[in-house]
Order: sequence, then structure tokens, then C-alpha cells
Amino acid sequence: MRCSMPVRKALVLAAAILLVVAGAAFSADAPRKGGVIRVGNLGEPPSLDPHWTTASITETLTNHIYEGLYSLDSSNKPIPMLAEGVTISKDGLVYTFKLRQGVKFHNGKEMTSEDVIPSIARWGKQSPYGKALFAQVADWKALDKYTVEMKLKEKSAIVLISLAIPSSFAAIYPKEIAEKFAPEVKATEYIGTGPFKLAEWKPDQYIRMVRFDDYKSRNEKPNGYGGGKTAYVDEIRWVPVPEVATRVAQVETGELDFADDLNLDSYDRLKKSANLRPIVSKPYYWLVAVFNKKEGLMTNQKLRQAWQAAIDIEPIMKNVAGGHTEFYRMDSSLAPVEITSWHTNLSGLPWNEHNKDKAKRLLKESGYKGEPIRFMTTQEYKWMYDFALLSKQQLEDVGFVIDLQVVDWATLVKRRNNSKEYDVFTTGMGAFYDPTHHIYLGNNWPGWTSDEDILRIQAELARETDQKKRFALWEQQTRQFYDKVPVIRYGDLFGLRAMRNTVKGFNEKTERVRFYNVWIEK
Amino acid sequence: MGPYLLRRLAAIVPVLAVVATIVFLLIHLIPGDPVSVMLGPDATPTQIEATRKGLGLDRPIYEQLLGFYGRILRGDLGQSYFLDRPVSQALWERAEPTLVLMLAGLLVAVAIGVPSGTIAAAYRGSLWDRGLMFVSLLGVCIPGFWLSLNFIYFFAVRLGWLPAAGYVSVFSDPMAAAKYMILPAFSLGFNQSALIARIARSCMLEVLQQDYIRTARAKGLSHGVVTWIHAFRNALVPVVTVIGITTAVLIGGAVVTEIVFNIPGLGRLIISAILRRDYPVVQGVVLVTATTYVVINLGVDLLYAVIDPRIRYE
Repeated sequence: MRCSMPVRKALVLAAAILLVVAGAAFSADAPRKGGVIRVGNLGEPPSLDPHWTTASITETLTNHIYEGLYSLDSSNKPIPMLAEGVTISKDGLVYTFKLRQGVKFHNGKEMTSEDVIPSIARWGKQSPYGKALFAQVADWKALDKYTVEMKLKEKSAIVLISLAIPSSFAAIYPKEIAEKFAPEVKATEYIGTGPFKLAEWKPDQYIRMVRFDDYKSRNEKPNGYGGGKTAYVDEIRWVPVPEVATRVAQVETGELDFADDLNLDSYDRLKKSANLRPIVSKPYYWLVAVFNKKEGLMTNQKLRQAWQAAIDIEPIMKNVAGGHTEFYRMDSSLAPVEITSWHTNLSGLPWNEHNKDKAKRLLKESGYKGEPIRFMTTQEYKWMYDFALLSKQQLEDVGFVIDLQVVDWATLVKRRNNSKEYDVFTTGMGAFYDPTHHIYLGNNWPGWTSDEDILRIQAELARETDQKKRFALWEQQTRQFYDKVPVIRYGDLFGLRAMRNTVKGFNEKTERVRFYNVWIEK
Repeated sequence: MGPYLLRRLAAIVPVLAVVATIVFLLIHLIPGDPVSVMLGPDATPTQIEATRKGLGLDRPIYEQLLGFYGRILRGDLGQSYFLDRPVSQALWERAEPTLVLMLAGLLVAVAIGVPSGTIAAAYRGSLWDRGLMFVSLLGVCIPGFWLSLNFIYFFAVRLGWLPAAGYVSVFSDPMAAAKYMILPAFSLGFNQSALIARIARSCMLEVLQQDYIRTARAKGLSHGVVTWIHAFRNALVPVVTVIGITTAVLIGGAVVTEIVFNIPGLGRLIISAILRRDYPVVQGVVLVTATTYVVINLGVDLLYAVIDPRIRYE
């Protein structure tokens, strides 16, 4: 068909307009490479050696530089990262991992089994998760350049999940670094396989990570903490801003693109801001009061049950959340909703009964004579102090005598290891990805839970590999928990973050922040 | 002057020895230790003990104190547990921001305080006098923390004229450095200007009562010449003392300003170090601050001799 000139011109113009509009529509959502993202956080990490510490800020930072054999998907189950996959022998005692090939470290060296073996051995000696796994390991060796083999002493349910969890994780270092630094000494060289590499660390000023151009991403779509990872931004600049009000101000002015760990008081102000939006971070912490079950008043189970019966949790949570219902959740499950494999929905548990008569009766039966109970807390985490204060009031209403001792965090962490110094202390639990990781259900952690039934079920959970049977055991353990009361479970508290509108691609569903797959719009 | 100077310098040693001992004992006797803090919440007690041993923290306290003395005498301030670097390096990295903040704050404090006090005295009883002294009262009463946060809220968040927090070195970018230093310097300086204003006013009032002032006025000299040329210098001695004290206070006392404005200086360092129980850093900061304080005191005393020719030391 032959068009006349004016018609042809009109068609060309229309096509051009269509292209521009379509282009604009697409480019608004299309990731763009470049830019620096400035993230404000609480403070300095004690180390960038993830084997060495369980500190959450180390977890967040190091998961950008390093990777492990496994990672967690969006439902918090283990999926391969540096491993191709695993073959498990019929008797469940031999795990053979095939490594991905052509994966480079930041120094250009290729990752092979000679790096994997010493890295994970080091992790197995220092990290609490590593030590728990390696207690079951008989042998750990390389079969060839891209194959490693773990031989177990007995069947274990926790191999893959232990290799996958992000906290104090089984990061793969080059052999030279894994062997240079003994497990109990912090590594001070930081070479990993992750999408970012460490460029500069100026303590108390910033930590700069830049894109690793030779990063070999997995082919799948991003999935939770795992899957494909793309470093769109040129640089992540982590800025420690210890004063929370300043962190809030800086994300409002645009000096920061992202601010983490904000106080709930600033939520209303952030909601009104045009250039940024607040993000509710779940899970955050579930609040617990941990009893000293080694010696002292709280070795008495009836007394612990009395405390559990007395408290009215919802008003406490509401107060701690600053009155905002978006920031707390009432739940009796020991694993939060977000850990879908382990979330329980049991009824008839003596949680949140707020039954003063029952509490008084249990108090009497326990033989409690009104001795002061030393309840240790800290103002450094305002929510700990708040729930301790409110609990004290509720407990004294039914006849408890509470000696509230307010100390700083360093003192609390020290004292809670000494069974002579306290009866109860406050803390928050983060996300545990496997039942065997619930540290308060063991004898190795402050509080010293040594109840036979609880320990027996934990040991069975470590061995039983069938998921259905494990879940049944976990439900059993939950009922034991509410009967034996090793700690008091309050509700779930959520955290607050703020993000400028120019930041795109951020995954809001993970417990900790990640800035791969994130880009900055112009 | 010479023997006086030597005596004063020699006296510094026992002062520092006492300071060093006290800070060592204090920080070690507070409950809590660096390892539990660093290893994180899920660390096991056995792990903590092993790391403590590695750092030498399980040795008896007198042994650790003697070790500390030995290192100090060699000029070695030790290694930071948290920062993995020598304490002297940690201090050196943070000296510049604190010095710059201190000088800027001092400049603001003197620029507000001295003229206010002098003018108030010169126009005693007038609205100027009452107004300026009221403002200086506010300077004393308003908490620095509150003032800093409000400055940030108005000038950075609402008006967007200045950055909310941070620090840029004057050696890398002087213009940016000035922008970042304005709010902290005013916040700090306003607090400190109050005392300077009041002292300046009282000293000026006292001097203005003197006979030689009456003579100067009788000679027909203008109010300005009398105030600034004749009275001012004589009133200066106590004012210089206060400025000296202010300087010393500002070295360690700018802590709140450094934290709120996120300035990576010594004040912020010592707070983080205490909370983390990073013993070597706490000891190092206190020793350096004490030394600076003593040296500034000496400097102020020597300055008197310059200002007031009647003062002579033997």
C-alpha cells in the first residue's frame, strides 16, 4: 500500500511517540547499573570474619562479600549457592557435594575444594552452628578438585541447614586465608566470592564495598537470600550512625539512601515524608525473659509457671511497639510465621493466660516466700527495658517481688554467663532456621536448660531426617516448652527501616538487609 | 622563666601516672568484658573463655596493670581489641575531627562570649546588658543534645540549608568541611559561650571601676577607646583562664556533639570503646586527653605572663 506523504509522516511520528512512551514505561522499571547506595546502620562490626562472631551487623555485611555452599530461599529452606548440589548416601551418613566451577575469588583465584575444606573446617571450630554440626562429623575431605565429602557419625537432620544459615555462616575463604588465621583469632583479610568486594574500611566512618566485576551469578531468579545476585550499584557505602535520631534525619535529607534499625517513635514522621517510605521489618526479635535454671530461685518450675500464668502479653507488646499495631504480633509459636517450615499452630498452650488466680495458686504451691528475684535488663535496647518494667508491675500485682537491675549491654552479656549473678534476664531472639538452633533449649547457653525431656527431644530432632516426623517432634517440644517454662515467650516485635524512593529492587521480606539486586533510579 | 617551665614539665609525670592507674583500674573493674560483646549473642561460654585467654584477659589484674605500665613507658599504647589496630593509630585517625571541632567551637564560644560580656559590662543595667545575659543563661541551661537535634531538624531536614551530620576533612575539601562544621560548632559554642560571657562581664565591670579608667574618661577619651584599648586587656587574665578551661573541656566534652553529628572524633571513640569494653582504647584516650589538658593549662599560665607584664615566674 502506498501512503501519501502526510500520512507517512504521521505514521512515523506516531510510531516514534509510541516507542518513546513504551521506552519510558519500561525504563522506569528496568534496573540501571551505577551509583552509590549509602546505608546508615547502628555501628561498627566487631569483625568482618563471619566464622568468628554471631553479631548481626557482621552477618549483614559479610553476606555481601562472601558466600557459602548453601543459602536460604524465600521460605527459609536451604538451596545450593556455591555447591551444584548434594548426593546423600542411602544410609544418610555420607554427603557428597559437587562444587560449581569457574567461580572466582576477589583476588582472581578460582574456588575449588582446596579452599572449601579448610574454610568449613575453620567454621566448624569457631561458629556455634559449625561446632554443633561438626560434633556429628566423622570426616571431611576433598575427593577431587570440585567434589567434597562429609562423613557423619550418625544420621543428621542439620547438615544442609547449618551450611545455609546466614549468621556466623560457613563462608568460603581462599585456602591461604582459612589456614592463616586460627579459628579463635579474627581474620583480618577479606577475600570472598560474593557480588561485592571490600574496597575500604575506615572504622567509625564508613565501610565501602564495590562491585566485583567477575562475580559468577547463579542462573535462577533471586530467591530469598539466594538465587541469582546482580550488583547493580557501583558501591555500597555502609555508614555507622550510632545516634538513631541522626540516622532518621539523614535519610530524610537524602544524605543516606537507606537507614536501618530505626526507633518506632519516628514511624509517624517517616510516613508523612514524600521522598521516602518506612518499611516494617519482619521478623525482628521475639521477646523473652530467660530464667537461670542452674541455681537460685528460678530453678523452681512452679515459680516459672506462675510467672507465665501471670503476665498479660498484649498490653506489654502494644506499649513496646509505641502503640502501633503494625509493629507487633501475638504468637505462641517458637518459630515466627516467616519461618514457614517450623511455625506451629497449637491450641491449649498456657501462653498469655493472664490468669491472676492461677498465678497466685502456682506461687503458693511453689513455696515462694517473697524473696527478691533479680531481673536483669538494659536501657540500651529500649524495648527490653520497657517489657521488663511492665512485667515487673504485672508480676508484683500477684505477689512476686522483683528486683529490677538495669545495666549496660556489655555488663548484661557478661553477667548472664555467671549463674550466681541473676535470676532472670531480658533478651530478644532472632530467626532460628532449624529447631536444633534454638539455643535457649540447650545447656550451653545462659539460662542452662537441662530438663531431660527437652534435651532428649532436641537430640532426636538432630538425628531424625524425615520432615513430617521432625515437625511432630517440634510440636511435642513446644508443648514441653510451655510446661517446663525454660524461658518466657512474649510476643513478636517488628523493626523499622526507611528507604528513599529512588532505591528499587529491595527485598523487604528478609530478616536482614541485602543490597545486591538493588539499583538506584536517577 | 626557665626553671619554672622545667618544674612544671616535670610535674606532669606524676599526674599522668595517677591518671593512668585510675583509668586502668576503673575500666577493668566495671563488669562486662570485650569478648562477650564482640563474639555476639549466640556465642557459647567456652568460646568466650578461649578468646579471653587469647587476649590475656584471664591473667590477674595486678599482672595486667604492670604490663600496662611497661608498655606505656615504652610509648606503646597497645592494640585495640575491637578495631584490630594499634591504639595510637586509632587515636591519630580521630584527632583531626576532634581538634577541628574543638577549635571551631572555641571560636564560636569566644566570638559570642567575649563581645557579649564586654558590651554588657560597658552598658551595664541597660537592655543590652539584660538581654545578652539572658541569652547567655539560655546557653547554660539548654542541653547540648536537644539543641543539636533541633538544629538538625530545622536547618537540615526542614530548610535543607546544611547537611544533618557527618564530617569532611578541611584538607580534602575546605568548602564542604565548613558546611559540615557550622551546626556542630554553633551547638557546641553556644553552650560554652555562656560562661565566657559572664566572666568577661564581671571582669570588665571590675576593671571599669578602677581609677585609671576614670582618668582615661576624664582625659576625654571616647567610650570605645576606653572600653577596648584600656579596659579590655586588663580584664583579660581571668577570661583567658576560662577560655583555657573551656578548651580543655571541649577536648573530651564534645562527646555529645560528636555523637549527634556523627563526627568521627575522640569523644565518639571513647563512648564506643567504653560500651564495647575496648580497654586499651579507653586507657589511650584518657591518657592523651589528660596530657593535653595539662599542657594547655601550662600554656595558659605562660600566656598570663604575656598579657600582663606584671606577672613573672621564677
